[in-house]
Amino acid sequence: MTSSTLARTSEAATEQSGQGFGASVRRTEDYRLLLGTGTFTDDLQLPRTLHAAFVRSPHAHARIIAVNAERSLALPGVVAVFTGEDLAELTAPGVMVQTGAESMVMETLPTRKVRFNGDPVACVVAVDRYVAEDAVELVEVEYEPLDPILTMESAAAPGAPLVDEDLASNLHTQQTQTFGDVTSAFAGAYRIVEARFSTQRMTHVPIEPRGVLAVWDAGRRELTFHSGQQTAHLLRTNLARRLRLEENQVRVVSPDVGGAFGQKIPLFREELTVAALAIKLRRPIKWIEDRLENLTAANHARDDSAWVRAAVDKDGRILGMKAELWADYGAYAFFTPKYPIDSIGWLLPGPYKFRDYEYSINVVITNKCPAGTLRAPMALVTWATEGIIERIARELKLDPVEVRRRNMITAQDQPYVSATGYTYEALTMWEGYEQMLGEFDLTGFRARQRAARADDRYLGVGIASVLEPTTYGSAWYKKGGRGSGHEAATIKVEPSGAVNISVGIVPTGQGYETTIAQVVAEALGSRVENVNVRLGDTSLSPYGMGTRGSRGAAAGNAVAYLAAMEARGKLLRIAAHLIGEQVDNLEIRDDQIYVLGEPEPRLPLSQVSWTAYMDPFKLPPGEQPGLEIHRTYDPPPMTFSNATHLCVVEIERRTGRVTIQDYRVIEDAGTLINPAIVDGQIRGGVAMGIGQALLEEVVYDESGNNQTATFLDYLIPTMDAVPPIRISHVQTPNPHTVRGLKGMAEGPVQGGLAAVMLAVQDALDGQGLTIERSPASPSRIRALFRTVEGDVDE
Amino acid sequence: MRRVRFELNGQTVEHEVVPRLLLSDFLRDVLGFTGTHVGCEQGACGACTILLNGEAVRSCLMFAVQVDGATIRTIEGVSPDGTSLHPIQQAFHENYGLQCGFCTPGFVMSTCALLAENPAPTESEIRSHLSGNLCRCAGYESIVQSVRQAAWELAGGNCAGKADGDDE
Repeated sequence: MTSSTLARTSEAATEQSGQGFGASVRRTEDYRLLLGTGTFTDDLQLPRTLHAAFVRSPHAHARIIAVNAERSLALPGVVAVFTGEDLAELTAPGVMVQTGAESMVMETLPTRKVRFNGDPVACVVAVDRYVAEDAVELVEVEYEPLDPILTMESAAAPGAPLVDEDLASNLHTQQTQTFGDVTSAFAGAYRIVEARFSTQRMTHVPIEPRGVLAVWDAGRRELTFHSGQQTAHLLRTNLARRLRLEENQVRVVSPDVGGAFGQKIPLFREELTVAALAIKLRRPIKWIEDRLENLTAANHARDDSAWVRAAVDKDGRILGMKAELWADYGAYAFFTPKYPIDSIGWLLPGPYKFRDYEYSINVVITNKCPAGTLRAPMALVTWATEGIIERIARELKLDPVEVRRRNMITAQDQPYVSATGYTYEALTMWEGYEQMLGEFDLTGFRARQRAARADDRYLGVGIASVLEPTTYGSAWYKKGGRGSGHEAATIKVEPSGAVNISVGIVPTGQGYETTIAQVVAEALGSRVENVNVRLGDTSLSPYGMGTRGSRGAAAGNAVAYLAAMEARGKLLRIAAHLIGEQVDNLEIRDDQIYVLGEPEPRLPLSQVSWTAYMDPFKLPPGEQPGLEIHRTYDPPPMTFSNATHLCVVEIERRTGRVTIQDYRVIEDAGTLINPAIVDGQIRGGVAMGIGQALLEEVVYDESGNNQTATFLDYLIPTMDAVPPIRISHVQTPNPHTVRGLKGMAEGPVQGGLAAVMLAVQDALDGQGLTIERSPASPSRIRALFRTVEGDVDE
Repeated sequence: MRRVRFELNGQTVEHEVVPRLLLSDFLRDVLGFTGTHVGCEQGACGACTILLNGEAVRSCLMFAVQVDGATIRTIEGVSPDGTSLHPIQQAFHENYGLQCGFCTPGFVMSTCALLAENPAPTESEIRSHLSGNLCRCAGYESIVQSVRQAAWELAGGNCAGKADGDDE
C-alpha cells in the first residue's frame, strides 16, 4: 500500500455517515482494552483469596487405587487437598442426556478411574499459586494402569475395554437418518462416486485460558462466580443444580473474555470444584489454568470423518447421497455426543439439489481429552460436500463448474427445502459462485498451473460454497428433544435520556457492545455514545441462551433492536401526548422529537424520558411510569447465511510446504450491522480454517500421552501464515428475521478448511494423489509425494 | 527476599521480591499492572510482552529480581496521559486491530519496539517481526494495517512504510 492509499483509507474510516445498521462504527470496547484497563478474570483480585491447582493423571486410562495428600498438606501455605470422594459429597454429578442413547454420568472429580492424560484427580488449595503447584507435586496417587482406547476402530471393536464402565459400549451413539428413497436413487445410478474426508483432533486455543474466581458470601449465602464464559445464564442454572443451591443464590459474572471459540460454554469440572471449595472453605478461590492444561485438558474438538457416496447420472447430476460419519468424542461428554457430527449429517447436502439422502452417525468414547464444540463444529462439512462434487467431476471427466451448474440451488429455486428438511431462502449460493468465477480468471490460472507443473511447481485452486447455519430457534431445539433458542434484552431509557441495555449474549471478542449500541441508537434516534451496553452478568442481564453458534446478530442484536423499538414506541406515545400530536406524525432524530416535515424539533428526548419517571401525571391515560422494557425473541427454526471462498495454493514438492497465494471471500450474511466487524469475523474464521487445513493437530502417542502440550507443538496460525483476504459483501436480507439479519461467524472456518483442502487437492491432481485427511502438513504432503516418487528424492 | 529498584512507566518502584517470582506475576499480582496478560507462560504467545530498557521481552520468561536497575514500560505506560490513545493504540482502534483484546497489549508493545527500531517497516518486516505474537480472533490482517498506519502517523504522516519491493 502506498502512503496516499493509506491516507485515503484512514480518511475514509473517519467519515461515518450514520451509526445504525450498515455503519462501520469503531468499537467502543477498544478504549479499555487498548489502555490495558480491561478486566479479565485473572485481573480480579480480592483479599483473602486462595489459589487452586489440580493434580492430573499421567495415564490415559487407570484405576485410582489411593490418593495420599499427607506430604502435600505438610507444605507451609497449603490449606487443603480435596479428592473426588470429597467433591462427591459437595456436589451433584453431571448427567448428559441424549435421546436414543445411554445417559452419561460425570463425577465432579473421578473417584474410580482416570480416563485421559490430564484428567483432574485432586485439587490443592493454597495461599498462592506457586505453593499450590508445589503441593500438586507432593500428592501421591497410586494408579493401576489399564489399556487405553485411542482410536475409533479399537473403541468400537467387540470386547474392547470400556472407557466408561457404566456404558454398554464405547460406541456411544449410532443413528441412521433416511430421507426420500435413497435405495432407488442408488439402484438407478449411472455411477456411484465415493470419497473420504477426515479431520484431525484440534483445540480452541483462546489466548486467555480458562479460569474462575469463586466468592462465597456466607452471610447472604450467595455465590459469585467470576469467569469468562459464553453462556452465563445456562451456566448459572447448571452451577446452582450441581452445587445444590437455588438459582437466586448464584451469580455468574463474565468479565472481559479473551476469546472462547466454543470452549467457554460448559461447566468444567475444575470450575465446579473451585466453586464448591470456595463455599466449603468460606474463602474466595481463584483458579487460572496454564497453557499446558488448556492444550491437554480443556475441551478438544473435531477428530471426525466422513465417507461420502454419491449416486449420479451420466451428466453428473446427483440422484442421491449416503454418508457414514464417525467422531471420536474423547473420555467424557460436556455436550451431547451426537451434536457436532449430526450437524455435519444434516448439512451435508449443502447447496446442492437432491432429495434422497441417508446418513449415519457413530460416536465413540475414548481415552482422550473430551471433545466439544469448536467454532464451526460442522467444519468438515463444506470440504466433504464440495470434495465429493470435485470427485464426481474428476471421475466423470466433467468440468467441476459445470457439475455445480447442474446441481447447485439458485435464487430461482428458493424457497428450497433441503433433503434433511431445512428451508433455504434468500441465499445466493450459485450467484456467489458465479460472481467469484467472474472475478477470478480460472482459465488464466489453469494455464499458469500447467506452466508451473513443467517446472515441478504445484499450484492449485479451491472454490467452496459455504452454507452456514447461524441462528437456531426453539423449534430446532425441540426437534432434538429440548432446549431453547430464544434471546432476551432489557433496555432502560434513564430519566436523563441515557440508555442502559443488557442482553443475554456474552461477548468474547465479537464487538457486541458496539453493534448492540448501533441497533439501539438506530431504533431510538440516538447516538452510539448514548448507549451503554453491559453484558455477561446474570444479576443485570436477562436470561438468554448466550453466545454460541453464530447467533449474535440474528438473535442477540435482533432482540436488542426489538426492545429498543418498544422503548421508542413508548417514548413516542408520551411525546405525542405532551405536544398534542398523533404518534404516527412523530419521529426521533439526534435525541430530539420531531413532527414529520418540520425542520425544528419539538422536544428533546430527555424531556420525554424525564416525564416518564418524574412526572407520571403528564403521561397519557393508561401509560405506566418508567421506561424499562424487557423483551424476548425466538428466531425462526433456522437461519442460514452463505459465502463463496476461493483459495490459491502452491505446494513445494521437496518440503511439502503449502503456501497460500490468494484468498477471496464473497459473503452474504444478509443485512449487516457493522461491516468492518463482519470482515474481522471473516478474517479470524478463515485463519482458524487455515489452521485446521495446514497446521494444527492434537497428537497422542501410542500410550495416550498428549504430545502437543505447548505452542511449540500445537501450532496455531501466526502472522506470517495468514494471507491478506479479499472480501466482498452481498446483502440479501432474510425475509423472516429482524431487519433481514442472518448473522455469520462460523462459515469462514468451514470455508477456510474447504477452500484450502480443495486447492491442495487441485494441486495434487494429475499426480494420482488424493488427500483425505487434514491438516495438509508438510509431513503428510511429503508422504503423499513419496508414494509416487520412488527413491529419487533426497 | 531480594530488594529491586527500577523504573516502571516513569515511576520509581522499590519492592521486596522472592527469587522465583515471575516478572509477569510481579507486575500483575503484586504491583497491580494487570494490562500485561499471561497467555502461555511458555514464552510463545507474546501476550505478556513488555519493554525492558526499550527492548521487547516476554515478562513470563523473566524473574522479578532481574529488573533491578532497569527501565520498564508496560501497556499502562503507552498512553501519554493514561487516558488518551497513543498513535499506535489509535491505529489499532481505527483499523479494528483487536477483537477480544487479550493479546492486544502484547501486540502494542511489540509494535512500540518495532517502530522504535524501524520507523518505516515493510509489510513483510511487520509480519516477520510480529510473528511471535499470537492472535486467535482477528486473522492478523487488521493488525498489519494498524502497524502500518501507526508507522505513518508517527512519522508525521509523510514517511509511509516502504512497499515490500523497496526493501533493498
